[in-house]
Amino acid sequence: MAQPDSSSLAEVLDRVLDKGIVVDVFARVSLVGIEILTVEARVVVSSVDTFLHYAEEIAKIEQAELTAGAEAAPEV
Amino acid sequence: MSENLYTYGIIEKEDFELDVEGVAGADRIYTVDYKNFSTVVSDIDTTEPDRTDERVEAHNTVLQHVLEYDGGRTVVPMSFGMAFKSERTLKHVLRGARRALRSTLNNIEGTVELGVKILTPADGAAPQEGIQATVTDRLAELSINETENDLFTDRLIVNKSYLVDRDQRDVFDAAIDEIGAEYDELIINYTGPWPPYNFVDIHIGAEQRGGG
Repeated sequence: MAQPDSSSLAEVLDRVLDKGIVVDVFARVSLVGIEILTVEARVVVSSVDTFLHYAEEIAKIEQAELTAGAEAAPEV
Repeated sequence: MSENLYTYGIIEKEDFELDVEGVAGADRIYTVDYKNFSTVVSDIDTTEPDRTDERVEAHNTVLQHVLEYDGGRTVVPMSFGMAFKSERTLKHVLRGARRALRSTLNNIEGTVELGVKILTPADGAAPQEGIQATVTDRLAELSINETENDLFTDRLIVNKSYLVDRDQRDVFDAAIDEIGAEYDELIINYTGPWPPYNFVDIHIGAEQRGGG
């Protein structure tokens, strides 16, 4: 029976370069200075697209974590 | 020692290690939990890894294992290059995005993506009228959804990604065989299984307020 193949670099590039979850670099490197994480999700499953928009207030969360200033400083 | 983590994808909570080479030569692939999901990660020494073909292939190889290993699992894939400063920054982002991630995992549960490209022969014979519709109607019936990709040459008559239930994989494989047998002049390029890259689009950003 036909078996799909996942070894083509062109097919891989088509997918992994601009699709999937993208996280802004600032959110990946820092715990301090971020007051709101914005999340925009589009999930296409049935014939109806699901659009989700979230803005999570995180400033007040986990104050203890945020005090760890030295560790949390963005790496350059 | 660097605490940076390179991330591959998000799955339902599960602890495992894979003995597969990861991005930038990482020799240990493991999971980091947050609430009821896990992120598949490896150690890395930067938060902005350069992109090379080798690394892109390593990213894909790890995801292939996660997708297929030990019965397979549902994966929300990360784009290439998503490295975090530490486990704490990763968990911080997961916390902020948890509702969207939960909803996405639920929506794509049990599915994989399959790619189908169909080309007419190089000798220039025009495709039979109606082949395109016949083929795509048939595959549409066996899939949950599809996305239309670019028909970048005249020879390309079908270029789609299908979201398919794992339970339907054998039936989908068989349909590809049958199409190949019925239209043996056509060239069929059947790829995957992929994590559902073409069906999940999530962007997580950070905003600062008041400049301080």
